[in-house]
Amino acid sequence: MTAVEDEPGTFVRPDGREKVTGTGRYTADLTLTGQLHAAFRYADHPHARITRIDAAKARALPGVLAVLTHEDVPDVLYGGMVADRRLFARETVRFEGDIVAGVAAVTPELAREAAALVEVELEQLPVVTDFEAALATDSPLVHSDWESYEGDEELGRHHNVLGFSTIVKGDVDTALAAADVVVRGSYVTDPVQGVPIEPRAIVAQWQGHRVTVWSSTQVPYVARAGIARTLGIPESNVRVIVPLLGGGFGAKCDFHFEGHVAALARAAGRPVKLVFSRHEEFVAVGHRREGMVIELETAARSDGTLLARRARLVLDSGAYCGEGGFFAQMAAMHAHGPYELETVQIESSLVYSNNQPSSSIRAPTAPQVCWALEQHMDELAEALGLDPVELRRRTLIEEGSVTATGQVLERIAMKETLDRAVELIGGGDGLPEDEAIGVACGWWPCFAGSSGAYVTLNPDGTGTIVTGAQENGTGAVMAMPTYVADELGMRPQDFSLLYQDTDAAPWDAGSCGSQTTFNNARAVIAAAVDLREQLLDAASDKLEAAREDLELVSGSVRVKGSPEKAVSVAELAAEGTFHGKGAGEVPEAPVAPAEGCVGRLGNESFHAPQLIAHAAHVKVDRDTGVVRVLRVAAVHDCGRILNRAGADGQVYGGVVMGVGQALTEGTQLDELGRQRNPHLLDYKLITASDAPAIEIDWIETDTPNAGPKGSKGVGEPPCVPTAGAIANAIAKVIGARVRHLPMTPERVWEAGQ
Amino acid sequence: MSTAFSTATTVDEALAALAGGARPVAGGTDLVVGARQGKALLPESLVAIHRVAELRGVEDVDGGLRLGPLATHAEVVAHRSVRERFTALADASAIVGSHATRAHGTIGGNLMNASPAMETGGPLLCLDATVSLRSATGTRAVAVGDLFAGPGSTVAASDELLVSVDLPPPAPGTGSAYVRLEYRRQMEIAVVGATAVVALEAGTVTGARLAITALAPTIRRVPEAEDALLGTTAEGGAVTAAARAAADGSFPISDVRASERYRKAMAEVIARRAIGVALARARGQDVPVPASGSHA
Amino acid sequence: MKVAATLRVNGVTYPVELEPGTSLLDAVRDDVGLTGSKEGCDDSECGACMMLLDGKPVNSCSYLALQAEGSEVTTVEGLANGQELSPLQSAFLEHGGVQCGFCTPGMLISATALLAESPSPTGDEVRIALSGNLCRCTGYDGIVTAVLAVAGAR
Repeated sequence: MTAVEDEPGTFVRPDGREKVTGTGRYTADLTLTGQLHAAFRYADHPHARITRIDAAKARALPGVLAVLTHEDVPDVLYGGMVADRRLFARETVRFEGDIVAGVAAVTPELAREAAALVEVELEQLPVVTDFEAALATDSPLVHSDWESYEGDEELGRHHNVLGFSTIVKGDVDTALAAADVVVRGSYVTDPVQGVPIEPRAIVAQWQGHRVTVWSSTQVPYVARAGIARTLGIPESNVRVIVPLLGGGFGAKCDFHFEGHVAALARAAGRPVKLVFSRHEEFVAVGHRREGMVIELETAARSDGTLLARRARLVLDSGAYCGEGGFFAQMAAMHAHGPYELETVQIESSLVYSNNQPSSSIRAPTAPQVCWALEQHMDELAEALGLDPVELRRRTLIEEGSVTATGQVLERIAMKETLDRAVELIGGGDGLPEDEAIGVACGWWPCFAGSSGAYVTLNPDGTGTIVTGAQENGTGAVMAMPTYVADELGMRPQDFSLLYQDTDAAPWDAGSCGSQTTFNNARAVIAAAVDLREQLLDAASDKLEAAREDLELVSGSVRVKGSPEKAVSVAELAAEGTFHGKGAGEVPEAPVAPAEGCVGRLGNESFHAPQLIAHAAHVKVDRDTGVVRVLRVAAVHDCGRILNRAGADGQVYGGVVMGVGQALTEGTQLDELGRQRNPHLLDYKLITASDAPAIEIDWIETDTPNAGPKGSKGVGEPPCVPTAGAIANAIAKVIGARVRHLPMTPERVWEAGQ
Repeated sequence: MSTAFSTATTVDEALAALAGGARPVAGGTDLVVGARQGKALLPESLVAIHRVAELRGVEDVDGGLRLGPLATHAEVVAHRSVRERFTALADASAIVGSHATRAHGTIGGNLMNASPAMETGGPLLCLDATVSLRSATGTRAVAVGDLFAGPGSTVAASDELLVSVDLPPPAPGTGSAYVRLEYRRQMEIAVVGATAVVALEAGTVTGARLAITALAPTIRRVPEAEDALLGTTAEGGAVTAAARAAADGSFPISDVRASERYRKAMAEVIARRAIGVALARARGQDVPVPASGSHA
Repeated sequence: MKVAATLRVNGVTYPVELEPGTSLLDAVRDDVGLTGSKEGCDDSECGACMMLLDGKPVNSCSYLALQAEGSEVTTVEGLANGQELSPLQSAFLEHGGVQCGFCTPGMLISATALLAESPSPTGDEVRIALSGNLCRCTGYDGIVTAVLAVAGAR
């Protein structure tokens, strides 16, 4: 059998061979000479005052080279939009996974033993685990000194409220009073975990004043900034390298543990490695999808026209802000949804609690709000006596629609995705009575930002792409050689990739916000164009031909129409130095005045929105409440699709993640806010045998302000409307609404009683 | 942390090690996972018994069945007699963990771990299985019904080794089934499970066994449910009564997997299904293994 | 106290000294030095550590290394024939069965075991057999397609 990468015409992802042969290295696979192992001492209690920390016994254990507490590192607060956290808790612990001490020892077992020997005395404080109750002004404070924190003014922080956003348009009360039909619904969602299959790992090594950190992060430049800030050193003294990354789904965004490990390595004078257990992945990682309470009220005319929407959202931020500061506004935008609304009043609060901190997990806030809103839309359709698909056809956004924040939408294919999804799933008539089809629609913005790349040529005519972009598995970075090859008339396999090394390439946001193709491909293409110009200049001299008469084809620069007048790229490369650089022009976000709205953090307009429609065919065992999702049709408008196989891969994975969110995935808490199911036996991911058959299509539109070659993002939207579509199908079978996510068998059964 | 490890190749070697304080390990699944999760440290001294040839195998014995404790779930499911005549056991072994668990996890390990949620316990109990426990001083037979002392414990002494599991020939006209409530199709642990074994003679139930799994501290039979079936023609009313009796005979807890209320309600549903499949099989219908997931 | 033993991994015999409680996964990663097999969980739920033990799939994280003495252990590193990828390895790449790649070693081992036991499985049989291997990226579609492609090709 021939290896596929040797077959002409096939391009296999450059990291493919190392991944199927087991020769690729992930962070946990690295071992440095003299390496020590790290372990943390966690609070284990969600809210308490620290009255005493004594590390003497831990330090005295043979084989322990460093034990650190807050006293041993600079007293620095950090965080995304609010700096509210320290590496090691100082006076107060605010969730069970708060780190009180860190240890470096010669074996992982010794490190854990020493961590357990650190004496920590806690004085219990009232635990704020009900995040809705935390809104009350007499609720105990999670952060008693919140006013002193450095934070974004626009957040509107107050008491336990970390962020408050509204979308307001017109007079909702008057509209509600005048409407033919008004429906109301309340929904609750449990928190959800990202669960990349690779638990996070970090290795840190100091050489002089400089530290190199290998980390399983989606955002190496953010990690670099976090290390520099918390250790008080310049970013130029920090190099972050990401070996192969075993998935992220947002959970490996943000700066988390790199600072602790770097500090331990400095204190021990040896390289230090941290590898999390799956238990720690659940409990210690301050990064999950937030729980929510969602109240919706929508008024409509009998023809379906949406006259008014009122919504109240409460989001559980957990103990810290992380990078989730924008969540209140983002959730509000999803309570608006991809619909034309005449009047709107949405209030959204992001609230501190003593629960695990929330931050971005794949399309943060969208799946939960979409699940609620799309059930609400089906309830409205029922009240109006309209088919749910027909109601959506009449009310979904289209080119020229104006959102409640005042954004005039340009060309989009929302309705077309719905029609195509309905077509793919087929009619619901004639199904057995325990089966039904549900639909749901959603939207998600693109995130435009700066990024940079270089393309250089080697003397043999091959080349190297140097990019700050981060590959988390999606293949977004792996596709970069195809874009460069297109510009240069070369083959993708002619290029190596140097990526996810902060010392090598310009800053990039990382593999977050579905932004890699949108921003970094733009930079890579710009760098390739720069290189092409250099090649054309050199070839023009060499061939004594005008530049405009030259073309790059099959590894050569040649005169158009006279293919014999040519010089190979290799020949040029051997004689000169060629390096292209690029960043491209960041497309401008559309304008949205958002008059009367507060908490405007930039998401009041959706840049080049991606539109999504899913249709789910489910079977419900009405005696037990067990739901099987048989088929999902997933249709997306993500602009022009540059890499169909890669884009499809995102949808397959996203839909299955959506099925998990819908049915089995939910973190349960005890009365003290501690996790009851921090392991994969009881936090159930969808297995191969539970995954539905998935049919995918793309409505490719030309989008103003799109990314390179007309693309939009792809990675996050596939998990947005899946749960809503499943919920609507379940409701059709059991004749009742399941208002608590995940829709576990017990909850489905209860709803059907 | 374990400090001693030996590998036995004969039962006598294994017994000598047990007498010296070692704990037996076969497939190791439960033992090692428990240690990794910090639930229970590995025993100080271990004797691996996986190479003891005489503890292997599944064989027909005079119409009955003899399982070596090292018989893997995969071997049990693949055995023709198990599928044809001890079908509930095939239903159970077919759904233990994943295919890797079934390839290495053993009947003996499953049984002696004595989890109230273990899949094979109910079928073995209802099929009247007896285990042979051997020590250096002799062998004794213990009915599976008398084996479980509580969650995670059996009546076996620390120097006793399970050497065989024997199932008597089923009565003519017997059908059996094990059904588990499954949130996912694989990789499940029983939240509610039920085993039914029924014997029919000219359409009348002449033998009935019903056991519930994960609904009490140990897997247990529910005599009231069995009585509801005995002597009837197993029409709807009798099956409903038996299923209700199974629910009444369950004492579930509320935990992270389900509430007591839901478990109790599911006890009836799952018992009804197990009885339905067992009856169908007793009547000669071919209900595929595993029965879980089918809606009989 | 460490016990001297030999482990045979991918046809090579390695002398090792192991604590009795060492898992096969730790022994192969740390003592033998083959890091292709991954650790993804604490409770034998994810399958990233899956190896073949005398041809049968085992979650090596919950199998004692010393019990593997005398058996043939196969890891993902043992699937290719020199530089030539196995049909499953090639098919995973061709059909989108690999994204982040962390589940891939266990998934390939699992699929290899399945096809050795059942050369022409149905799609549902493939899905059942691979259910002990969690993948968070691909939605399993590319993986199942790859396994079926190899099964159909022989």
